[in-house]
Amino acid sequence: MAKLELHQVRKSFGNVDVLKGIDLAVDDGEFAAFVGPSGCGKSTLLRLICGLDEISSGQMIIDGQVVNDVPPAKRGIAMVFQSYALYPHMTVSDNMGYALRLAGTPREEIRRRVEAAARVLRIAEYVDRKPRQLSGGQRQRVAIGRAIVREPKIFLFDEPLSNLDAALRVEMRIEIARMKERLGTTMIYVTHDQIEAMTLADKIVVLNAGKVEQIGSPLDLYNTPANRFVAGFIGSPRMNFLIVQGHRLDGGRVRVPGGSVSLNTSPPEAAHEIGVRPEHLELCAPGTSNALDGRVAMTEHLGSDTYAYVALDGTDEMIVVRLDGERPISQGERVGVLVNPDAVHVFSTDGRTLVSAKPMARNAA
Amino acid sequence: MFDLSGTVSKVVFGLTLALIGLFLFFPLYWLVISSVKSNAELYSIVPTPFPTHPTMTHFVTALTTGKLPMYLFNSLIASGSSAALNTLLALYAGYSFAKYRFAGRQPAMLFMLSAQMFPFGLLLISIYPLMSEAGLLDTRPGLILSYIVFALPVSTYMLYSYFSQVPDELIEAARADGASDLRIFHTIVIPISIPPIVTVFLYSFMWSWNDLLYSMTLIVSDHKRTIGPGLLLTYLNEVNSDWGGAMAASLLASAPIVAAFLFLQRYFIQGVTAGAVK
Repeated sequence: MAKLELHQVRKSFGNVDVLKGIDLAVDDGEFAAFVGPSGCGKSTLLRLICGLDEISSGQMIIDGQVVNDVPPAKRGIAMVFQSYALYPHMTVSDNMGYALRLAGTPREEIRRRVEAAARVLRIAEYVDRKPRQLSGGQRQRVAIGRAIVREPKIFLFDEPLSNLDAALRVEMRIEIARMKERLGTTMIYVTHDQIEAMTLADKIVVLNAGKVEQIGSPLDLYNTPANRFVAGFIGSPRMNFLIVQGHRLDGGRVRVPGGSVSLNTSPPEAAHEIGVRPEHLELCAPGTSNALDGRVAMTEHLGSDTYAYVALDGTDEMIVVRLDGERPISQGERVGVLVNPDAVHVFSTDGRTLVSAKPMARNAA
Repeated sequence: MFDLSGTVSKVVFGLTLALIGLFLFFPLYWLVISSVKSNAELYSIVPTPFPTHPTMTHFVTALTTGKLPMYLFNSLIASGSSAALNTLLALYAGYSFAKYRFAGRQPAMLFMLSAQMFPFGLLLISIYPLMSEAGLLDTRPGLILSYIVFALPVSTYMLYSYFSQVPDELIEAARADGASDLRIFHTIVIPISIPPIVTVFLYSFMWSWNDLLYSMTLIVSDHKRTIGPGLLLTYLNEVNSDWGGAMAASLLASAPIVAAFLFLQRYFIQGVTAGAVK
């Protein structure tokens, strides 16, 4: 059981600053997910926590103890690598028991722990096989098993599911969720897949260009993003952004491409852009008052949902509207887009959130 | 690559291939058939393309009456030891060049590879006084040490290239599991690198085995002589030109290398790292 704290952790490679002062606390038993675009530093941060790379400055504390200079094996952590990194010449059970053998654990104890982990992960029948004789999913289980047998204080996962096919990924995601329930260990999970982050994590850390953009629960980030970056990163399809072209037409309205949008508050002076999620938009007849006018440029039918890409009048930009899956809609159709005033986020020029949508804003429809 | 649909191009291609084949294999063929010809047939005015009465006499004589077995044994000791030493050095050097970042890494590697650019004969000129100074002239250890110049640069580079492809994550996983650097190398990296290690061993073995110049220069006692100078001094001198014996002995001397390469070919193919990552 362990609490992890980072204070102003920085990492530079040569004169490139990869991490620019990270402050973060992950509580005992908490599942934290690091998300962000490629190159944001999320994997680097995980490697620092693991001890594979040294931090350039700052403090890393596990359970009240500064571990800046503690080697990986002494930190009480176990890491599951993206590529699994199984030892190809060893059997599954030797792979899983390697760390314990190095630590001088009695043979009987190793056998017991490996067997227990193999049973839980449903790979008990493969323990005498070599990694190359296993499927991708089985290899992933072995990699997780190798971490479990060490009974670490903190689990680290580096995009563990990215090499699996879609169906297996869902299966393993559920597996990891169950593991989190069962073990109750602190876990840190790096992913670029926001669905994994949203479904697994108690706490999501959004990173961008080596800095923390926001830390919060999945729904916090979805409902009240701290800035335009988080607003655009969390949610799928991503939030629609519209540049504000004129202020305070009358009271709580702003002019944007295709028409004007009502807000539930008077728009701040610095309002530069508004953001609305596709699920908070509704189609209506063209020319409806308070609606944006445009033309359906493209549609995507997913069965449960339909996404309509609407090109707003007087602009090249398209906004995405999420519709019921059964809703008939055809390309080229002229439509109006109704914006739920409670669901509008307002951002400043530098991307800060000026007005957040009301939590759990729901489509009027 | 080539369009071989036309008759002319097929014929030209076939003829060229046959010519190259003849050029490459005729000496080998002559070696084999000469070794089984009787002396009478060997020295007949008109050469015979096939042995009329194949005989194993030359082989029996070479193995029983001459010093060939001793030369072979000496070569085995010298080549085996130098190949082992060379492989050991190349292992550690190649791994450190591949997986560690230290000041002077690139220049050190270039410097080492540049040793390969000098003709071996030239290096011998400086090795000779060194060995003389160290009292290693006419000793097996001296010969074994000097053989390292043949293969070490290339061996190191071969293993460096291989180790560079060993995934870093594998090494990091072992480090996170608590293994020291040397332990990682010995228990993870070496076991998955057997094919390139065997290749490097055989490569350096072959160079030493085929050597004539160094052994001829550095060894003077007959009982320490290796196969190259041994063959030359036994079969081809002013008083003797036993061609049949020379051919049979040459065949016997090349047998270990041929066998080694047959073995190596089988070994190459398997991808031992399969299943490590992805």
